[in-house]
Amino acid sequence: MKRCLSIFILIVAVPAAAGAASIGDIRLDSKIESMKKAGVGPVIYPHALHEKLYKCNDCHPKIFKDKRGTNNMSMKMNMDGKFCGAADCHNSPNAFPLFNCVKCHTNVGVKVK
Amino acid sequence: MKASSFKRLKAALLCSLVAVFGYAVTGTVESAPAPKKSGDQSAAAAPAPKKETAASATRIDPKDPSSVIYLDTQGRPAGIGDPSKPASQAFKAGMGWHPQALSAAGLPKDKYGLVDWAKLVRQNIISPKASLDPEEEEIPPLKMDVVITAKGDYVSDVIYPHEMHTYWLKCDVCHPSIFVPAKGSNDMTMVGIVQGQWCGRCHGKVAFPLTDCNKCHSAPKKASK
Repeated sequence: MKRCLSIFILIVAVPAAAGAASIGDIRLDSKIESMKKAGVGPVIYPHALHEKLYKCNDCHPKIFKDKRGTNNMSMKMNMDGKFCGAADCHNSPNAFPLFNCVKCHTNVGVKVK
Repeated sequence: MKASSFKRLKAALLCSLVAVFGYAVTGTVESAPAPKKSGDQSAAAAPAPKKETAASATRIDPKDPSSVIYLDTQGRPAGIGDPSKPASQAFKAGMGWHPQALSAAGLPKDKYGLVDWAKLVRQNIISPKASLDPEEEEIPPLKMDVVITAKGDYVSDVIYPHEMHTYWLKCDVCHPSIFVPAKGSNDMTMVGIVQGQWCGRCHGKVAFPLTDCNKCHSAPKKASK
């Protein structure tokens, strides 16, 4: 009976706890070469801040795939209403608009060339 | 003694007549009773502006929804419709924007609910004068598109239409103080524009805001994957 319970905990409770744990900041720099040309630095995405405001399934998996590196995001995609620029997010009055570069990008205005 | 009192009575009668006439035309009380107290000098000056208000009042048809734009926040005629007078006269008199009137005037709106001035120009809904100076000729719009390459690899390029901007603006509004009139010599950045440089001098203030990226970033890069 005890063994059965421990297996149950291993299968169900541990992954759930891991999922609920705060993810923290995510560094988005897959397009770093393009970002350098544009004079902006990588985006530090505050996952924890969004966790407080929204439920997981508000964004996953409809807007963002869960696995890191599988969302081929670009500023153009955001402008076209995908990812961060989804209709109810940063392309709407609910959140700050996309043109506010410094709110997401770090090192804005620093010329690297 | 008797003759002078008769004169005063006559002046007072004239003043009250003017005041009543002014009240009937504008529907305001604050400006009308002023000439009653003051003597004969102001009585002569008073009727002239009142007549102009009467002329503009008859020109505005309150039943026509497009005429609401000419009314101020209290529903009185804003401005006197006289091109020989400076445009700020209505503003000096305490008249301001009338948001309800603007929305009731049926002006075309963009998807954000803001007045689409470009559409107003294209459809000839309003046709403002080229200048307050009647002798100044209007310069025809310059049909010249400028491609402004976006610095990043993914963001679409900007096609800047000179044509839309030169309907109401002269060259020296923007050149050379805001933009150096030579291609590639303005090192524009989106951050600078957001902070009020270059396009941001007008866009986000008097022209449509920066919210809709694709309104300007309209030419996709061929190389983008």
